[in-house]
Amino acid sequence: MSVVEVKDLSFAYAGNEVRVIQSLTFSVEEQAIVGILGASGSGKSTLLRLIAGLETPCEGSIAIAGRTVVDARTFVLPEHRGVGMVFQDYGLFPHLTVAQNITFGLHRLTRVQRQQRLQEMADLVQLQGYEGRFPHELSGGQQQRVALARALAPQPTILLMDEPFSNLDAALKQSIRQELRDILRRAKMTCLLVTHDEQDVEAICDRTVRLS
Amino acid sequence: MAERAKLSRAIKKHTNGWLFIGLVGAAVILLPLFPIILSLFKAPNENWQHITKYLLANYLINSLQLVVLTGFFTVLLGVSLAWLVAAYDFPLRRFFRWALLLPLAVPPYIAAYTYSTMFSYTGIVQKTLRTFDITPNPKWFGVMSMRGAVFIFTLFLFPYVYLIARSFFERQSGSYIENAMLLGRGQGAIFFRVALPLARPAIFGGLALVVFEVLGDYGVTSYYGVHTISTAIFQTWFGMYDVDSAIRLAAYLMIGTVGLFLVERWARRNRRFSSSTSKMRPLAPRRLRGGWCWAAVLFCGGVFAWSFLFPVMQLGVWASWTFDSVFTPAFGELIRRSVSLALLATVIIMFAATVVANLHRTSATPFTAALSRWVTAGYSVPGAIVAIGVLACFISLDRQLAPLYAALGMGTAPLVLSMSLVMLVVAYVVRFMATGYNAIEAGFERVGTKFMEVSRTLGFGITRTFFLVDLPMIKGAVFSGIVLTFVEIVKELPLALLLRPFNFETLATRAYQYASDEKIHEAAIPSLLIIGVSMVAVYVLNQVGKEAKE
Repeated sequence: MSVVEVKDLSFAYAGNEVRVIQSLTFSVEEQAIVGILGASGSGKSTLLRLIAGLETPCEGSIAIAGRTVVDARTFVLPEHRGVGMVFQDYGLFPHLTVAQNITFGLHRLTRVQRQQRLQEMADLVQLQGYEGRFPHELSGGQQQRVALARALAPQPTILLMDEPFSNLDAALKQSIRQELRDILRRAKMTCLLVTHDEQDVEAICDRTVRLS
Repeated sequence: MAERAKLSRAIKKHTNGWLFIGLVGAAVILLPLFPIILSLFKAPNENWQHITKYLLANYLINSLQLVVLTGFFTVLLGVSLAWLVAAYDFPLRRFFRWALLLPLAVPPYIAAYTYSTMFSYTGIVQKTLRTFDITPNPKWFGVMSMRGAVFIFTLFLFPYVYLIARSFFERQSGSYIENAMLLGRGQGAIFFRVALPLARPAIFGGLALVVFEVLGDYGVTSYYGVHTISTAIFQTWFGMYDVDSAIRLAAYLMIGTVGLFLVERWARRNRRFSSSTSKMRPLAPRRLRGGWCWAAVLFCGGVFAWSFLFPVMQLGVWASWTFDSVFTPAFGELIRRSVSLALLATVIIMFAATVVANLHRTSATPFTAALSRWVTAGYSVPGAIVAIGVLACFISLDRQLAPLYAALGMGTAPLVLSMSLVMLVVAYVVRFMATGYNAIEAGFERVGTKFMEVSRTLGFGITRTFFLVDLPMIKGAVFSGIVLTFVEIVKELPLALLLRPFNFETLATRAYQYASDEKIHEAAIPSLLIIGVSMVAVYVLNQVGKEAKE
């Protein structure tokens, strides 16, 4: 069964006739890592925002894990969709520590479960010992790993990543790509990843969706 | 069919508690203005004929003259000082940079009676001249006139223009001015050909604030006997007991200010073009030498002395004369009540402002955009209009509630709400919502929507997101909003004067009451207290500017 089903999806910004996304249909099967490729302005990030529920499409439907989250008469709020998202500039809460950032989405767990999950996540992204730091005390690569851990912690149905490597320098990029693939495999995570770089796709993704 | 489904989807998506509270807030602000708009469609009474025939033209000409003259002089003073402080370096520049904001701490009505007494025959100016055996023609010092009102407004309102123009010059004009210098243009050409045209939208924004203050003023113009539309509203109301005509006058004034408000919005829309390019380099001030240097110090010093130092020193002297007779336990009680009233109104304003600002941010629909614009329109509505609108609303509310009052055994048709403090609090909320809202919105703009979106994908709704993520990040903005709103309310005069219940006084009404009873010296202590509190707001305003710079 596919985790995400996008059908005839169209989107235009309010007050704008031109459609950024036009009748897009695709699906993502379980534990796949799918890359979304396209030039800038082709609606890659918008597609992720539509799936996450941060934008509303003008036509079409999206289903996550068999449940329709948006169509002409339904709209499930982002907090109820069970998607994890890593934003392009990470969006780590500057007033919270690494541990508080990672456990932010775990409000439904008990304190003990939360601590346990935090340890699992810190192990997964190899950030043990950094729990007490604030985001501005971390390097770019570390910040990205915190953002990844935070998105994975609540065990979302699917992980959305918006240009995950755009803020990293070339040398770091190579090692992080490999690392990311390992982490996603270990976490058995389904992932939709937006990029403009063909090499990212070759290194990580099982297949690609091209937007024009 | 599909459209209807979409609409119901949109309504479901955006309906939440925040929207409900926001709508209540907007209704409170809208209702008082409703009777005023309605009045235009009613047939005028006989008195109105009289007013239009003999008085209206005069009111209009006076208002116009006051606005045009004050506007001209505040721009002249504000822009020249802003350019001097931003583009040149001279002794005491850093001091003048913020000291020239201090006149904002002196409400013009306080300055009005301070200066009229200082310039009077027995005042310090003429007395001092007489000790040197100079007996000038007292006519030269006649400040109780249009000329005097323009003088007062210019000296105490120019910082609005100064503040906005200065931060524009300092932050956004650097690279253009460096280019102009490299192209070999002189200082004069740089100012007139580059800096001034670029700063035009900023200057216009400051000027609009000045114009709204002047149009809404009651204290200065009534004390100096200048008949404007604002004072005319009060006179038809209290002098002729003709509320209908007063409301009608208010409607005309409102049309004028709403027009101005739209023009200002339109002018600000253009500002984007000038600032959206790459990162702006701050302007490096250039050192002044010799005579120019001293002229700059003298100019800044002179303006500072007349617009802050002299009147405050004079008030200090008077305060020392009257301290024992004015500062009684009853006066302490007055301060306590005045402050708690202002605090209460501030809390309500900040709550509603935060709700509407967050609503606009979380669900940016044309509807919430209109809601937030409506809420901020309040600052352009003169106090006189707010006062009369709120009063009209509360009287009709009392009429509606008359059966309830009767059932409670309070007699037939008593005025319960319209004789209570509730009315004044509502008026403050209508008038000063914009002050709180703008502060909160600035905070939200700096934070952006990114963190909110992260929190929502992590499973939090907008309410919990607000308390966990947004509020900690906009703490500073909330604080400065509270201070600015509180101070506006403490120094507010016309609303308090008109809508306070019998026997209730604020610091501002007490000061003004003393002054209209010719007890100027007694007015000094409440005046100085108001100025002291307002200086805190000026400090906050200055800090906010610094933060934005970083």
